[in-house]
Amino acid sequence: MKRIILSLLCIAALCACTNDDQYELSDFVGSDTLTIHYNQQSATFGTLPYFVTATAAGAHVTVTSFTGKNLVIRLSGSSEDGSLIVFSNRKYAIDLNGLTLTNPKGPAINNQCGKSLIITTVGVNTLTDNAPYINTTINTNGDTIQQKGTLFSEGQIYFRGNGTLNINGNARNGIASDDYITFESGIININMAATATNGVKANDGVFIQGGSLNIDVTADGARGIRNEARMVITGGTTNITTSGDCKIETLDGIADTTSCAGIKCDSLFTMSAGTLTITSTGDGGKGINAAEDFLFSGGTLDVQATGTESEGKPKAVKSDTGIILSGGSFHAYSRKSKAVDNAGDELPTIVGTPNQTSLKLTKREVNVVF
Amino acid sequence: MIKRLFSVLSIFCLSISYAVAQSDDFGIWYEVGAEKKLSRNWSLAGEAEFRTRNNLRTADRWSAGLSAEYKIIKGLKASAGYVLLYDNNAEELDLKSDGLTPNKWTPSYWSVRHRFNLSLSGSIDWQRLKFSLRERWQYTYRPAAEGKRYDIDEEAWVNVRGKGKNVLRSRLQIDYDIPNWKFDPYVNAEMFNAAGGIQKMRYTIGVDYKLRKKHVFGLSYKYQNVNDDDDDMSANSHILGLSYKHKF
Repeated sequence: MKRIILSLLCIAALCACTNDDQYELSDFVGSDTLTIHYNQQSATFGTLPYFVTATAAGAHVTVTSFTGKNLVIRLSGSSEDGSLIVFSNRKYAIDLNGLTLTNPKGPAINNQCGKSLIITTVGVNTLTDNAPYINTTINTNGDTIQQKGTLFSEGQIYFRGNGTLNINGNARNGIASDDYITFESGIININMAATATNGVKANDGVFIQGGSLNIDVTADGARGIRNEARMVITGGTTNITTSGDCKIETLDGIADTTSCAGIKCDSLFTMSAGTLTITSTGDGGKGINAAEDFLFSGGTLDVQATGTESEGKPKAVKSDTGIILSGGSFHAYSRKSKAVDNAGDELPTIVGTPNQTSLKLTKREVNVVF
Repeated sequence: MIKRLFSVLSIFCLSISYAVAQSDDFGIWYEVGAEKKLSRNWSLAGEAEFRTRNNLRTADRWSAGLSAEYKIIKGLKASAGYVLLYDNNAEELDLKSDGLTPNKWTPSYWSVRHRFNLSLSGSIDWQRLKFSLRERWQYTYRPAAEGKRYDIDEEAWVNVRGKGKNVLRSRLQIDYDIPNWKFDPYVNAEMFNAAGGIQKMRYTIGVDYKLRKKHVFGLSYKYQNVNDDDDDMSANSHILGLSYKHKF
């Protein structure tokens, strides 16, 4: 008996060779993927990575991430009554992998992380919202979160991938960021109903570097791209149409008129490559309206403002400080007003020698090709 | 008697395994030692120890130490000792101030620690009971360990800084001398005080068996209650202690 007990104790000592760590290095480096599949009224999750939680109320999913890794949330499936809200302490990525998601009471995707969100499209994806938005409370104090559009992000958004993303906006903006938005690749089609507002809304800049961006806004006073900071186009193909008229709001007895615009930016506008086509058909609708310089050095630009001028001036390209052309192909046309409003002048500032054959410099039409 | 003792031990081990809660750990501490009386007042002792944790699945520590004891007067002793510890430092995950975001991760790793101690023990006998109180100051130094900690934000391995730690251990023990029996049972409670307050409490019940005055076999059960501010990342533990000491 004694020998047996001693033997057992010795064996117990010898067996003490197992590592008792809970984590591995791979839990902190590289990337983790959380898959979420929408199945109409429900959503199913893949394995939850460490420091990531996910809950679903029907198909309305909330993901909270504290992981130190690069989190990738891969979305697929379909739901007519679903959404995704993400709280994350660091940048992460969303892969749209054949997703069709409609939220009848708010954004389809709401990113509450103030850091970068990288959206990669694979296949055809469609996001739709609907009015009215219902405030989402996030704690017992009744605090709510911002929800500014069908796809909303507190932080920067980068669009990548080779797939298609269709945005159907019915309530607020189509794509909105409280930071900046960069379009790198992929096809993005934004169709905004008359009950909605802007196609793209960014606080800190819009950068179009590649891909295909197609925006159609129909509401009065809506902008294809509403940008409160710098606008930089260095590639890609962008088509914007606006069909709404001027929006007139009366505040404290004072009427304020907001005209439509293909692009409205509150800072510098620069374009050096790519193709940009804007058609604005509503009353007073503008093509491009920049608060600071409009610098065009390359690419192909075609802006047409074909609306009437009952409430506003349908100018094709307008800058409050200067329009400077130095390269590329520039065409602006206005049926009822100035094709170019160069800080009050009707003609742009041309740097260099354009092709004289195609050169046209009139009030209604400006065509400059280098 | 020996058979009965080991039967009790078997039942005891099984009981512990059954009783250990999910959050509590179970380990065995194996200890061998030798003691030599140099004079009427002086004695020297050496010991080696091996500990397990994680319900016996993980080696926790190897150690070897030397100590000298001086009998000041009857019932009052002073001692000093040094122990070389080779620890399997438990995994540690440091979170950011939000308490949720991982900041630094230190996987378990083996490292050396140096421990010095000074003790003063007083005892009194009352009938067959012996009451003793030991106060021990203990200083442990852990040298820096290179590249053992992973900084998650920096995505780089960084060093674990060396540090020293002072602990005052206060142990109250009661021994009972059973007439005409070679087994001497005892109970004790030991409090570990550090800068942050009481770090842990250790409660022990055990018995020593003396064989021909030279061999002392010990069997004990300890329960160690760890406060949250203990920085050794140890859990509350049930511990089976097995020891052998040779007296020269």
